[in-house]
Amino acid sequence: MLRSLSLLSILVLTSAGAFAAKRTAKPDAIRQEMLKLIAEPLPAGAVATHSASFYGPDNLYEYMDGAADIFVLYGVHQLLHVDLRAKAADISVDVFDMGSADTAFGMYAAERSPDFQFIAIGAEGYRYEGMLNFLQDRYYVKLLGFGDGADTVLETFARALSARIGTNPALPALLSKLPADNRKPHSEQYMPADPLGHPFLGPAYMVAYVSGNQESKLFVTVARDAADAQMRLKQLEQHFIKTGHCEPAPELGERTIRASNSFEGSVIAQTKGRYLLLVVNPAKGSEQLLKTAAAGLA
Amino acid sequence: MTNFYSWNRRGFLARVTSALAASPLLGSSKLLFGQLVKGAPAAPQAEGNAKPIYRKLGKTGISLPIVSMGVMNADVPGLLPRSYELGVRHFDTAAHYQQGRNEEMVGRMIKQLGVRDKVVISTKVLPPGWSRDRSQTQTQTYSTAEVKAHFNEVFEGSLKRLQMDYVDILYNHAADSETEIHSEGTLEAMTALKKEGKVRFLAVSSHQPEMALKEVMKLGVYDVVLIPINYTIARDEGLMKIIDEAAKKGIGLVAMKTQAGGAKRPDPKLGKPLTPASQTALLKWVLNHDTITTAIPGYTTYEQLEQNFSVASNLTYSAEESEFLSDKNVAANAQFCVQCGKCLPDCPSGVDIPQLMRSHMYAVQYSNHSLAAETMAAIASGKGLAACSRCESCRVTCRNSVNIGAKIEHLKALSSIGVLKA
Repeated sequence: MLRSLSLLSILVLTSAGAFAAKRTAKPDAIRQEMLKLIAEPLPAGAVATHSASFYGPDNLYEYMDGAADIFVLYGVHQLLHVDLRAKAADISVDVFDMGSADTAFGMYAAERSPDFQFIAIGAEGYRYEGMLNFLQDRYYVKLLGFGDGADTVLETFARALSARIGTNPALPALLSKLPADNRKPHSEQYMPADPLGHPFLGPAYMVAYVSGNQESKLFVTVARDAADAQMRLKQLEQHFIKTGHCEPAPELGERTIRASNSFEGSVIAQTKGRYLLLVVNPAKGSEQLLKTAAAGLA
Repeated sequence: MTNFYSWNRRGFLARVTSALAASPLLGSSKLLFGQLVKGAPAAPQAEGNAKPIYRKLGKTGISLPIVSMGVMNADVPGLLPRSYELGVRHFDTAAHYQQGRNEEMVGRMIKQLGVRDKVVISTKVLPPGWSRDRSQTQTQTYSTAEVKAHFNEVFEGSLKRLQMDYVDILYNHAADSETEIHSEGTLEAMTALKKEGKVRFLAVSSHQPEMALKEVMKLGVYDVVLIPINYTIARDEGLMKIIDEAAKKGIGLVAMKTQAGGAKRPDPKLGKPLTPASQTALLKWVLNHDTITTAIPGYTTYEQLEQNFSVASNLTYSAEESEFLSDKNVAANAQFCVQCGKCLPDCPSGVDIPQLMRSHMYAVQYSNHSLAAETMAAIASGKGLAACSRCESCRVTCRNSVNIGAKIEHLKALSSIGVLKA
């Protein structure tokens, strides 16, 4: 019955339909590569309970309902889903090909909370309530386990999957160039589009810093070049002039502004080469944070 | 019987942007919702300084601006206070959006603003075993007690993340089957939570609007329904009738997916990204039906917020918006059969092509296979799908560029595996 279901699922996925533009008759090269990640023999003695299925941006909502939208926003290319059984445990495996290591990190970080139990798998991973999710290269892997021994199986499976992925077990390189002092652990994020609700600021990295009981956020937006970074600063200036207040802050360095409005709070911002750096909700020491971050990106 | 397509039940939206209607519908004097597009004001407008139009949410006593915020995609904290500043008073989230991070953000922002008593907060809880793969959910069974316990556990987590003692509207999330809407465990949990004062109103969210509304009206327990309502259902008189019926019975109606995928993932067949005017046109089209209390478009930028909320005080179509809704090319590229019947003389087998196209729409866009099968069964003998087998491939050309041949092949594939019976 399940095999029939899977065959039928594949038939529907592959049938020529005017609407289903992303459903191709044969898996493409990337899908073939992804299928190797779950090729038998599977770790922990797991066996698939039905055939794997693929979803693209156009039909991911069929699998994830409204939760799909954010994956699409982050640029998901493919999702490979398969359900497995390992002894008495049922495991749901989702491997998201996010297209690049940065966007994979972005999506992973969007769902990550500092309260999770972090583990060293891939570039980073965590466990939370029957889940084990990890990040590696352009893949964001989400595992869900039910039943006896699921926790153990999840970890075994995750490590084996990480070994099969093989490449790039590191967080985005730019993050390592940002100040380490007072950094809030596991707060880093990457936003490919519309960071802070402004399309002109994308893409951008973000790290939270703590000073006393105040938290500030450092954003580093990556422009095409120095001229583009200057343009972004100009647009930011115009936004704050329109909605609040903005003034040059020469005491903080060249091409630096201090701004605020009622809904975004306070910001200090500076360009450095192709980067536009912003500290949102600056606390004591944030001015030095901005300078240090800019120096690290030179 | 297990539905093979249980994972595909959201096919209602499979090609939403590909089903945009155009002038053939809009030119008609009797449109669904009874609203004309060209030149005529469509609904009462706010007076004075662009104040938002408010509508009552069924019998709940809640009054809301007609544009609210679907928070699910937004991870920009500033968007919520800015939304509130502009006049948004309803924020919709769910327990599983971003694994709870979305509720956390809503809770944090509402608390910082200090406006809990001035806003309407809704959240949603999924059934147990909703392991992202809906076919899994179909094959696992849970006792009433397990469902109730799960629901309570998840909801308590929601309240904690939201930093609230109660929510205004609690949805039975993604209830896409009668079973889920009638789930005893869920209903027991929800009604108890309402009695305890942790929930003000009970609701259902569903991607099967006709089914959901019918069942909600039967049950008489739910106060509000959240369903996809957008331009792609313009021709669905049956659904529109049920929407009006539900509204008359005092069910509060909230619209999602109002912009049919929106600019984020416009259908490539449309040829170009959806413009701001097209976004507001689509939203206005929905809200020009006053039985819909409010829409919850998801936005992620300040620009989108302002664009969407501009509709809250102005439902009149601009020239650009009218032009978009009347664009024949949009409809042609979107491959929406307008039932003109001009293809009929071209078919050597006399097949009832318009009915087959309608069946395809029900099967694929609405994932309503029983309705699709019914539609096909109603076709006169000898003029149905079986007659298509006389031709190696379809030779009919649609005057509006609908790919009739591809749709017929798709229907054949669905029929061959027993989903539809021709």
